[in-house]
Parts: sequence; structure tokens; C-alpha cells
Amino acid sequence: MIEPAWGLLRLLGGLGALVFLGYALLAVALPQPREFRGLERLAFSFGTGVVLLTLWMLALTWRGQPHSLAGILLPLAVPAAALLFTPRGRRTLSGDLAALKAPGRLHLQGWDWLFLGLLTVLLCGAFLRAILYPMWAWDAIATWGCKAKVFYATRGLDLTCIEAHNYYPNLLPLLLSYLYFCLGRVNDHLVQGLFPVWGTLLLGLLYSLARRLDLSRRQALGLTAFLALNGAVFVTHLYIAYADLPLAFFALGAVGLTYLWLADQAPPGSLTLTALMMAGLAWCKYEGPPLAATVLLAAVLTLTWLRSPGTWRRLANLSLPLAGLILGYLPWRLFALQHNIHFGSDHVHSFYPQQLVQAVSYLAAALIQPYYFGLLWPGVLLAAIFLGRRLWTSPALFLALFVGGNLLAVLLAYTLAPTSVAEFPSYVRATLDRLLLHFTPIAALLVGLGLKALSNSRSEPS
Amino acid sequence: MLSNWKSLLTRILIAIWGLQVLWLFWHLASEAGDIARRLGRGDVGAAIRREDPLYSWSEALTTVIPPNATYIFLDNYEAGKEIEVRYFLAPRRHLLMAPEIPAPFLFYAFHQEQALFLLQRNRTNPPGPGARAALRSGALEPVDIPGPGRIYRVDHTRFRWGFYD
Repeated sequence: MIEPAWGLLRLLGGLGALVFLGYALLAVALPQPREFRGLERLAFSFGTGVVLLTLWMLALTWRGQPHSLAGILLPLAVPAAALLFTPRGRRTLSGDLAALKAPGRLHLQGWDWLFLGLLTVLLCGAFLRAILYPMWAWDAIATWGCKAKVFYATRGLDLTCIEAHNYYPNLLPLLLSYLYFCLGRVNDHLVQGLFPVWGTLLLGLLYSLARRLDLSRRQALGLTAFLALNGAVFVTHLYIAYADLPLAFFALGAVGLTYLWLADQAPPGSLTLTALMMAGLAWCKYEGPPLAATVLLAAVLTLTWLRSPGTWRRLANLSLPLAGLILGYLPWRLFALQHNIHFGSDHVHSFYPQQLVQAVSYLAAALIQPYYFGLLWPGVLLAAIFLGRRLWTSPALFLALFVGGNLLAVLLAYTLAPTSVAEFPSYVRATLDRLLLHFTPIAALLVGLGLKALSNSRSEPS
Repeated sequence: MLSNWKSLLTRILIAIWGLQVLWLFWHLASEAGDIARRLGRGDVGAAIRREDPLYSWSEALTTVIPPNATYIFLDNYEAGKEIEVRYFLAPRRHLLMAPEIPAPFLFYAFHQEQALFLLQRNRTNPPGPGARAALRSGALEPVDIPGPGRIYRVDHTRFRWGFYD
């Protein structure tokens, strides 16, 4: 009994250290950190800490230094602690401590309790499911978990003994191996506690963003439950060690902040945070850089289409998220080049038009298949109808372009996939739900905008 | 009037979603039951993995195969078990080959990759042509580890290779 509890404490300590690293950096990098809500700061601190720590682990291997817990954490934790002693860091810390001492009351009512109760039951169940069962899902043991085990055993990013899509970015395997260092050994059931925690942060972030869209607490909680409890894909990813949930987290952070910035509702420093989320996207998974590119493309198209005052200046401001994308993409690319890691072309060989026709029907079926995402995508369609012309005359256009663009990108990806005719249906079945998961939280934001439009039309005099 | 049909559509969607939530909890009920049963019995974590004979066999193999060694695993990828064994035995270097691999290819792999062990996942299947030839050559020595598969120690130095012109 004592050993599992001690292991759980060590895991939470490791996760807490990541939040601390991100918190300290954001305390000085953002002009007014307390402009962000508590849940937002918790989520962004964690995401930032993860990006920082895993890039540092990559740098350690590059310098030929073997990984150890002290070698990974101390060189980051000491400067992070020092940042909190700077005037801005001290101000932020004292403000947060004061807020912690006097927490506000929640005053939950009826539906609030129901939504919160459903989410609590789901997340507690997912946490137990994650930490009590060993790693078992295909990609977890074939790629992410296997690499993590190798990195931990070899004390570095050693890919000489494994052939598992070696060109894939390594944020997740390095993070898992860091947690193994925290746990003191490979414990592939306890380490999966990372995923429900990450899912909780994603849902917390969605809730906060929904509140920023002027949704009431009940509506925001309902929207969060609507994402989490729609179909089985999101739920399953809360306890399998796949990189798709982390990717969805970074996508939500990057897109949510960019939307707020386009709508002039973003707290100061949002673009800096967007850059860090873009770095996470690019460094998390092979699909990350294209996702990040669609964030930028959708933002550019929105600014150009809406032609609001200061368009050129705002277009230039997007260079900051672009820098984030490069920060997340370039180090691994250079490392791979230097270590002769061949970048796979196994995903892109040629153009197969017959696959496009098939992919359209598979995609359409997946969007209404209750097992995948329940009623989320029909909800998106309804939201688009409610938004009406606001969909192309307001920054909502950005979300629509991002979601629509990625649906097209999914189709394009299947058109380029080099599979046999017999293999194609099972290839789609094995990948489509995950590809859609990457941007379903953003689809939920669109549903939130639809809800807001509905509330506004109710309050308007007829 | 306009907002009426919107409200109606929203209510219908929420009602169907409510039913869908009930279905989801029903769908997850069997997993929840398994969690509760296992928690009651205390057989969670690594104990679950030990229920799999392939894992127990792999665990025994780790005492024989050094962490820096290379082994050749004879199995079909489609069976989905090779990935598990590779994971259990990581960071040992893993090379997958089909059980029907002919002798020249297998001998070349022994030599080129300096493989120290040959693993066959299914003990009940007879060795393929390559493994049979290697056994006859005397370069394979069976290691007695009970489990679903077979393991042989390989003397790769006996497989000499080169160009002779």
C-alpha cells in the first residue's frame, strides 16, 4: 500500500515540477499574468513546462550528457526559482498566494452540479483506468512507450536499438522517460496518470476559453461536458498513452488564444503564449507542424478577409507564433539530420484520386458515427447555422477556417497515403478518429460560439 | 419565431446527447466493473501483465538476453505479438523476420547484425527452413526457458561472409 502511494506522490511531484517551470517562465514572460484565469494559467504553465523540459532533454543528448533526474531538473529549476525573485516574478507570486488564501465561492446550482458531477465521475474513472492497468494500446507500446523505455534505459535519446518511426518528434517519449526518472524505474501503469491529468487540463482550458466567449458558467460547464462525454474517442484517449490528446491540448491552446487575439479579447502577452503552444504542437507529433501551419494560415486569411484596422501590423505580429512553430520544429529536425535519422516519406508517395472518393465517405460517416464523437459534429453544424453571416463577418471565421481546413487536410492526407486497395479501409479505421480528435476541442469552441449566438438571439427584441 | 426553432433544435440535440451520455456510461460499465473487481482483489498494475504468458516468458528472457544484445524474432507482424515482445525486451535490439525466412537471408542477418539470440514466438510451430538450417549448422544452442516460445543462443561468428572473386 505504501509503495503505490509513494509512487503516486513521486508522479505528482514530477508533474508539479513541470507546472512550476512553466509558471515561473510565464510569471516574467507575460506582462500581466494574473489577467489569465487560474485554470488557464495552470494549463498553460503545464504545457510550457513540458515543452521547455523535453527540449532541454533533447539538448542534453545533443551535448552528450546522459539523462538523470538531477541533470534534467536542476539546471531548469534553479533559474526558474530565480525568475520568481525578480520584481515581476515576486509581484505575480505574491498576488497568486493572496488569491489562494482567499478563494472565491463557487455558488453552483442545478445543472452546474450535474455537469461538474459527470465530468468528475469521468475523470476519476479515467484516472483509475490509466494508473491501474499497464500500457497496452498499440501505438503506446509500438512507438511512444517503447521509445520512452529505451530513452530511460539508455539515459538519452538513443534510437540505434529501435526502429519505430524514428523521425517522429519526441516530446511524449522524453516526457514519459522524465516521469520514469521521477518514479525511479519504468512503471508503465503509474506513468499513464499523465494522460487523465492532461485531459483535465484540456477541459479546464476549454471551460476558461468558453467563459471568455461570454458564455455563462452553466453553458461553459455544459460545453465542456459536451466535448468530454460525446462518443468514446476522447474518453479512451484519457487512459491510453497516445500523443493525440497532448496534440489536441496544444492545438486548443494555440487556436483559442489566436481567436481571442483576433477578437481583441486576448489578455496581454497572448501571442507569446500562442508561440509556446505552437512549439508544443510542432514538437509533439508528426501531424503537429501542419496543424500549426493551418493556425497561421487561418489567421492570415481571417485578417485579410475582415480587413479590420491595423491589418498589416497584425499580420506582422503573427511572426511571433511562427517563431514558436520554428522553435518546436527546428531542434528535432537538426538533431535528426546530424544523427542521420531518415525522415520518413512513408506517408507521402503519390496522389491516389480513388482514395479521395472513399475518404470523403469515411469522413462523412465518422462525423455522424455516435461511437466516435457522438453529437459533437452535428452540434458544430447547428452552431454554424446559428452563427449565420457572423461566420464570415467576425473572427468566428478563423475557427471555421481552421476546422474546415483541417477536415480538407485529413482528406488530402488519405489521398496521399500509400496503401493497397484492400488495406485502405482498415488504415482509415485505425487513424481517422485520432486525426479528428486533434481539432475536436476547437470544434467545441465553435459550438460555444453557436450557443452564444443563440443566447444573443433570445435576448434581442423580436 | 426565429429563435423558437433554434431553441427547439437545441433542445432536441441536448435531449439526444443526454441519451448518448447514458449509452456511454453503459458502454463503460464493463470496464468500471473490471476496475472494481481488480481493486477488490488487489491484482492491478504489473499483476495484470503477468496474466499474459507471453509477458512472463519475455520477463524470463530478460535474465538471459543482455540489454545491449541483438536478437532476431521470428513471427508474422500481423499477429500483433511482435510489438509486445519488442516492448517487453526494450532496449534490446529487435529484428523481426518471417518464420518462413530462407537460410541465406537468416544467416546473413546473423552475421551482419551480430545477433546473439533467435526467438520463435510459437513453440508449437515447427521451425522454418532458415531456423532448421541454422540448427543443423550447430550455430544455434537451445536455451530451456518454459513459455509459449522458443529461444536459441546464436554463435554468429560461425556465419562468415564475404566476396570471393
